[in-house]
Amino acid sequence: MPEIVIERLTKRYGETLAVDELSFTVDGGHVTGFLGPNGAGKSTTLRAVLGLIRPTSGRALVLDRPFHRLSDPARTVGASLDAADVHPGRSGRGHLRTLAAAAGIPFSRVDEVLAMVELTPARDRRVKGYSMGMRQRLALAGALLGDPRILLLDEPANGLDPQGMRWLRDILGSLAREGRAVLVSSHVLAEVEQTVDEVVVIGDGRLVAQGPLNDIVGGEERPVRVRTPHPDALRAVLEADGAGVATDDRDEVLLVHHCTLERVGTLAAEHGLAIFELTREAQTLEDRFLELTGEGGNVR
Amino acid sequence: MNVLRSELLKLVSVRTTWFLLGGMLVVEGLYAGLVASLLSEEQLRGRDVSELLVGTPLITVFVFTLGALLSTNEFRHRTADSTFIITPQRERVVAAKLLVGALAGIVFALEFIAINAGLGLSILSNRDVPVDGDTAVDIYTGVAVGMVLACVFGVGLGAVLRNQVVTVVAGLAVFFVLRGVALLLGDAGTYFPAESLAGLQGAVGEDFLLSQVTGGLVFGAYCVVFAIAGMVLTRTREIS
Repeated sequence: MPEIVIERLTKRYGETLAVDELSFTVDGGHVTGFLGPNGAGKSTTLRAVLGLIRPTSGRALVLDRPFHRLSDPARTVGASLDAADVHPGRSGRGHLRTLAAAAGIPFSRVDEVLAMVELTPARDRRVKGYSMGMRQRLALAGALLGDPRILLLDEPANGLDPQGMRWLRDILGSLAREGRAVLVSSHVLAEVEQTVDEVVVIGDGRLVAQGPLNDIVGGEERPVRVRTPHPDALRAVLEADGAGVATDDRDEVLLVHHCTLERVGTLAAEHGLAIFELTREAQTLEDRFLELTGEGGNVR
Repeated sequence: MNVLRSELLKLVSVRTTWFLLGGMLVVEGLYAGLVASLLSEEQLRGRDVSELLVGTPLITVFVFTLGALLSTNEFRHRTADSTFIITPQRERVVAAKLLVGALAGIVFALEFIAINAGLGLSILSNRDVPVDGDTAVDIYTGVAVGMVLACVFGVGLGAVLRNQVVTVVAGLAVFFVLRGVALLLGDAGTYFPAESLAGLQGAVGEDFLLSQVTGGLVFGAYCVVFAIAGMVLTRTREIS
């Protein structure tokens, strides 16, 4: 059973259709990227999952029930919707203690999660003095308080420096490896590409694509890139083997379709043709995202 | 119980609470000290402790503001998201805030009485101004109950309005501006929130007000109405 099920979720604000018949699922053991341009409906969807807003139609279920029906929400779902959602006059530790108290979680856990997000040295400082990166860490600490099996994080990479990004990637990966479902929304695709292994792409409130990252990016369908001083000879050999060959802007680079890396290398060796470079042409998530949503980020 | 503990922590973990408490003590100390010291014996005699309580309306604003902050801080600093994610039964959160508001009102009232009675009555005693003990107990009780209710009123109004500035301005309008309107309405005006609260607290020189008990019941009814409205609206509104 998926941890989160979104079924034909629609949310309308007056004339504005924020989410339009959106359906997808989130499973445990993965970091799922919830991707879309600004205004695509990501935050609205997360709020519907968390019971903060009511869908106009459709439903959002956590462990097969509406969020407000969960018997112990804090130990089931950890969420961070905006790192700035903290009283600036409280210390980081004080903020987490108010959350822990509401959830019946012992204060010793507050110090544990502060250590996990490496905020122990700043725990008694008031939050108004925190950098954006520190606030992101504090927000993640709040989400982790109940040791939940599901994590919903809205734009957790905002404001993180490269070190923070690596830290976030590592901690989300380790949480997913523990079997948790981690749903991470973002509109900055390059930031999450190395973090997620499943992807849900939406645009204008509609589902555009869902699946494993490699399938979405189309790894096996990308051409093999070969750089050789004998492009004409290699092209002939590859085409005779049934591959489709195109040339790059540079004459010595071939883009080979319908052929594996290993087959290209083997054929070149059999015919005594030198190869200087042999690699699968990479397509970034951003490339694929723009293909799916259109250059402007809209599907309509 | 968990929600109540959390709301208590929220109250004591911000400096504003302590600034309001300290500010109230300073203002009240000045009021009680100056009135008891500077007014003539003729002015003080026969009014028991009422004259010492001229600053009560201002002090009431302190506790009202504290109650309003208890509710509206959630929306001003957007902590409502995490609060209602952890406790999806939102009416429980509002109920806990109302209870914490009442507890805070009791603490503020005890501090108020300690300063007002301790300082003011000792000065009156030194000046040989007689004070009727029974009357003093009635008045201080009314003031204390009024402060508790004012804090609860702030929590309820804040839960209804959500916006911090709007809530505090609305409170100031209720406690000061509407009092002027109430005076124009005669007896009907005595049932206005600030007028009924003044009746409960035995306002100085305003004998036309409701009795302490009636005033307390009327102002208590306002508190109940806003508390219920705040719980219902908080339960049904979207948090976006």
